[in-house]
Amino acid sequence: MSPRAIVDAAVNSGIDLIALTDHNTCVMGPIVAHTAEKAGLAFLYGIELQTREEVHLLAYFNDANACNALSEEVYAHLPDVKNDPKYFGDQVVVDEQENIVRTEERLLLNSITLSLEDATQRVRAHGGLPVPAHIDRGVFSLLGQLGFFPENAQFPIVEVWGATIPNECGKRAVFRSSDAHEPEQIGRRTTIITMERVSVEEILLAAAGVDGRSIRSEES
Amino acid sequence: MMRLTDVVAALELRPLTNNGEFESDVISALVCDLLSVVLAKAQESDLWITIQRHQNIVAVAKVTSVAGVILADGVVPEQRVIDKASQEGVILLATDKPAFAVCGLLFALLNSEKG
Repeated sequence: MSPRAIVDAAVNSGIDLIALTDHNTCVMGPIVAHTAEKAGLAFLYGIELQTREEVHLLAYFNDANACNALSEEVYAHLPDVKNDPKYFGDQVVVDEQENIVRTEERLLLNSITLSLEDATQRVRAHGGLPVPAHIDRGVFSLLGQLGFFPENAQFPIVEVWGATIPNECGKRAVFRSSDAHEPEQIGRRTTIITMERVSVEEILLAAAGVDGRSIRSEES
Repeated sequence: MMRLTDVVAALELRPLTNNGEFESDVISALVCDLLSVVLAKAQESDLWITIQRHQNIVAVAKVTSVAGVILADGVVPEQRVIDKASQEGVILLATDKPAFAVCGLLFALLNSEKG
């Protein structure tokens, strides 16, 4: 998706905060952040990791440096298997004018060789917020792959895809987000976070309901 | 049906744990790496063949009461997973053979024992 298309779709949907969570990379973060800023749209850096167990783990960061540092660490654990554009599509990096700057050769669709626990710990070590993605889906979900929440990792916030929050979630806060792979999909799921400013720290406070902050979501 | 201890010998499996019911009966097997599916399908007296080494395999094996877990393809879980399995009496067995080979050999073994 182009930076312009993402930002326009978000603004037209009435969304005021987006995060970019590309698969195993965050290289497009700064460009989309800049495009978002010009449109008055708040932005969080992010990435969606695919762990060794094939669980999808979202991670959100306040700044590009933290996100990049995590992304580079993770790249070292991405198998050196080449992408085949015929089957998996092109992995292009574009600039603001949508010129192709370079092509990522290594297959990003792959799983990294880190466990869910290790990946989570590294996200936190870089100041990021780890959120297991679409935990109730049949594929690439924490509950699907692992059966239940593992005991050695804490997730105060989880992302749910369907209308019903699984019982396993307990008291955890719930995100619903679009997981958009096309601009038309942006806005199909939203979350309302009441917080003082946009930051990972504020989101965690909102998850805990501190001083009037909150996280609310409904399936649209 | 065969005793687990005889399957271990016949397939040359390496026990990673010593605490558990090695005399139990094995009737069938399940090969699966998605723990939610194992939770839904595994039967007592199944051997469970997998390359999933996440710690949750211990609880899943315990809850489903499978006869044992075969980690195929040279996959060896971290020591803390092995320790947890020992604690819980869950039998972990290792082999370098790929899952396909394990399935084929085990299937033949179990079917040749049938009347």
